[in-house]
Amino acid sequence: MPDPVVALRNVSLERWMRDEYAYDLKNQIFSILEGRHQKQTRKAVLSEIDLEITRGEKVGVIGPNGAGKSTLLKTICGILYPTRGEVSTAGNIVPLLELGAGFDPDLPVVENIILYGVLLGSSRKVMIEKVPGVLEFAELQNYGSVPVKVLSSGMAARLGFAIATDVQPDILILDEVLSIGDEHFKQKCRRRLDRFWQEHVTVVIVSHELEFIRQACDRAIWLENGRVAFDGPAREAVARYLSAIERQAMEAIASLR
Amino acid sequence: MILQAANPAAPFLARKLYRYRWLLYELVSRDLKLRYRGSVLGFAWTLLNPLLFMAVYALVFGVYLRIGVRNFPVFLLSGIMAWGWFVSAMQSGTSSIVDGRMYVGKTVFPAELLVIVPVLSNCVNFVLSLPFLVAIVFAYHQHLGLPLILLPVIMIIQALLTVGLLFFVATLNVFFRDLQQLIQYLLMLLFFLVPIVYSANVIPQSARQFVLGDPIAVIIMAYQHIFYYNTFPNLAGLGLVFVLAIVLVITGYATFAHYREMLGEYL
Repeated sequence: MPDPVVALRNVSLERWMRDEYAYDLKNQIFSILEGRHQKQTRKAVLSEIDLEITRGEKVGVIGPNGAGKSTLLKTICGILYPTRGEVSTAGNIVPLLELGAGFDPDLPVVENIILYGVLLGSSRKVMIEKVPGVLEFAELQNYGSVPVKVLSSGMAARLGFAIATDVQPDILILDEVLSIGDEHFKQKCRRRLDRFWQEHVTVVIVSHELEFIRQACDRAIWLENGRVAFDGPAREAVARYLSAIERQAMEAIASLR
Repeated sequence: MILQAANPAAPFLARKLYRYRWLLYELVSRDLKLRYRGSVLGFAWTLLNPLLFMAVYALVFGVYLRIGVRNFPVFLLSGIMAWGWFVSAMQSGTSSIVDGRMYVGKTVFPAELLVIVPVLSNCVNFVLSLPFLVAIVFAYHQHLGLPLILLPVIMIIQALLTVGLLFFVATLNVFFRDLQQLIQYLLMLLFFLVPIVYSANVIPQSARQFVLGDPIAVIIMAYQHIFYYNTFPNLAGLGLVFVLAIVLVITGYATFAHYREMLGEYL
């Protein structure tokens, strides 16, 4: 059994549910004085997740909205910290999560490419050499000196994808990246991802495109309410997930009658 | 790499800074670039600011109020430039984590760097405007000597003190955004409590120990000793401030680390 590059042991993550006024010092003090201060409540987003991913595995994560898919990815990356349990990873993790995350909207595209690359662990020199390639892949050659805030959301997403896949990750973490860009760029993304598929890069990908998960991943994790509902071969995971949705739909129709 | 709750120990901060030194360099240069982007005068603003203050204060305190400090512009400038570094770092540092919301909680990012960046970038500005201060010193036929060797020491103490304060303030500011406004007012008040536009001699003996017990005052006066009096500053006082600064960095970083996992959710 090869060593896991990602291991989650009994990981639970709870998020604070808070009111907007918690930002306000005055209201906070008054609410304590008046005795109506409520202790913030916690909501479990991930519950008791045990997971091991070995080197080179391509793992899809599926499940309905709010099941904790993105939270799971953020926990693996180390952006969020588990409330209980332990996350251990080995190797250089490159995440591509939210649109525009990690970009400074006021800085030009080229500066952002360098900054992002340095953040992911490359040196400035290496990144300067990579700039033309990244611009070319993102098809933003004419936008190098434009601030990122001027880019359209599709362009920003292309830029993010181009950088994240250019820095040679050991573990690539992708959240819904295949829904970005136009059809032409989607094809391009898939071709580039294919390259990672050949190599020993570990990929964890969240997608609602079940057909893609079924074809491209060896393994899929189906999350439901923050728990692992199924973890196994991608085909089986997708089939079970789909039949569960169908069953729910049938029950909903039945209850209407 | 095991990711558990963040390690609050200060040695961990040192290791992290070393690991991310190139990122720190990038962030500081970004901060400097962004400040002057789109401005015609660019870096000249950094010089213009103390220069304009010097002119106004020299007129009000030197001419109108006759404060009786010889070569008042030299005295004023030797304190106000370091004060400018402190104030600018505190102002942008307080909101540094909030302003970094495109990184914190969205991508793998060492948020502690955000707190340190304004201290360093304003330090660069301070160093770049030092030649100007030296020119003014010589223009008034004053002298610089051996005390100058203490300049880097004083600067390090000031940087540590500011970083330590900022770890507390920037972390709290994520949860209570009013702090940003509060800090503005406190800094404005503090400006007049620190002997910058007047010399410490004019403070009545009974009040002097309170004013001079202020660590910021100790640091500002150390600069005045170097650039205005050309004498060695109060080393015991500086030593105490150094110890205080170290304590602040350790406890401030522990506080920051304690709340770090909540930062992303509140941004």
